[in-house]
Amino acid sequence: MKKDVISMHDLTLEDVQCYLKTAEKVEQIPLEERFRLLSGKIMASLFFEASTRTRLSFEAAMYRLGGNVIGFAEQGATSVSKGESFSDTIHTVESYSDVIVIRHPREGTARHAAQISFLPVINAGDGTNQHPTQTLLDLYTIKKNFNKIEGLRIAFVGDLKYSRTVHSLLQALMKFKVNEFMLVSPESLRLPEYLKKVNMGFPVTFVETKKLEDAIPYADIIYMTRIQRERFPDDIEYEKVKDSFCLNAQMLKAAPEGLKVLHPLPRVNEIAPDVDSTPHAEYFTQAKNGLIMRQAILLNIFEVAI
Amino acid sequence: MSDKKIQMIPKIRSGIVIDHIPAGDGVRILEILERDPRMKNIPVTFGMNYQSNKLGAKDMIKIQKDDLCERTIQHISLVSPGVTIKRIRDFEVVEKVSVQPPHDMINLLKCLNPGCITQNEPGLKSKFILTDPVQNQVTCVYCERVFSIHELSPII
Ligand SMILES: [Zn+2]
Repeated sequence: MKKDVISMHDLTLEDVQCYLKTAEKVEQIPLEERFRLLSGKIMASLFFEASTRTRLSFEAAMYRLGGNVIGFAEQGATSVSKGESFSDTIHTVESYSDVIVIRHPREGTARHAAQISFLPVINAGDGTNQHPTQTLLDLYTIKKNFNKIEGLRIAFVGDLKYSRTVHSLLQALMKFKVNEFMLVSPESLRLPEYLKKVNMGFPVTFVETKKLEDAIPYADIIYMTRIQRERFPDDIEYEKVKDSFCLNAQMLKAAPEGLKVLHPLPRVNEIAPDVDSTPHAEYFTQAKNGLIMRQAILLNIFEVAI
Repeated sequence: MSDKKIQMIPKIRSGIVIDHIPAGDGVRILEILERDPRMKNIPVTFGMNYQSNKLGAKDMIKIQKDDLCERTIQHISLVSPGVTIKRIRDFEVVEKVSVQPPHDMINLLKCLNPGCITQNEPGLKSKFILTDPVQNQVTCVYCERVFSIHELSPII
């Protein structure tokens, strides 16, 4: 059976642990050896909406395993814009490639692609729904830094209402028995209630605050997200809150030594550039881990033993 | 004649009785029957707000047709889970089932999420899974949103 990666909801804890282990092994393999692992394979990179970072990460992951990439970076450049049906696009691409990576503005498109194609499909983001490789790379970054996930204290900061990244990571962390979270957000962007009312078989505590300073002495990890202007009814509301969720080096002086700051990138102004040179900045390594995790996923799909 | 007999709608020789409908749901079931082309010219009697020991008040529908199609029964189970469908032959009840929503609902309900691929890809059938039978909640297999069955409109 082909191995699709569509949604975190499809993955058991064991599946996730397997990806983390594979990523760890991939990282041990010297670059020149990694080049041989997927030589001759072609990845179709179908980005129906632009997402430069995710696309480059997937494509570099494939190239650095010795594979090749075909595809498009936005819908405008394709026959889809000439009216071709989605399933026709998939079936055409199918005959040229071995795996499909798909990004699409509509929720459920990756699932649909996986159902109509005989090739394995990786979801690189379907609208506001899922972006499983982001969650897996976040978990990998956490695991790499602390050599464990269970028992860590994690603070999420920013737009906790709409951030798909936060919701997905939060649910995954609870599977790893993380049972204490700090939630830092403006009143109007608080985490939805349904995400807090889960029955994991153990109590989960959520400490909510509007002050970023509260999280700094508390957390092992601060996961920052962007607060988007368009989420606010008017600019005044936005101006009122936007600076209270910006992290700078001065604030981090109160941080425990091991605290790590993560961010899915791109950042706007929520992390000041002076944080970059502190030992707490982990977001660029996080991006690097994205490539490793995507290589692990590709190798798992092609059942390459490493 | 006893009071009980007076209030009941007449017996049918042969056909289907939908019973134990919580009062108020009957009209919604009628709407489903009305939209089924196989129900054209079929005599249907409808009774509202009968006394019921179990439900307090109930509606009842009698249909002079030997069978309902599977899809119609599934739709009934979605608008009013737990109603009883009785098959009548020669005034006798020959079969009696309590209908419950199916676990997999293919092409029965329309997803409410405007960004869902099922709303935008012609020919793609909607699919929901009954994820919480107690609260009657379903999850769209595509966009993964959770809805209560009553929020969603049926695809007839
Ligand atoms: Zn949907």
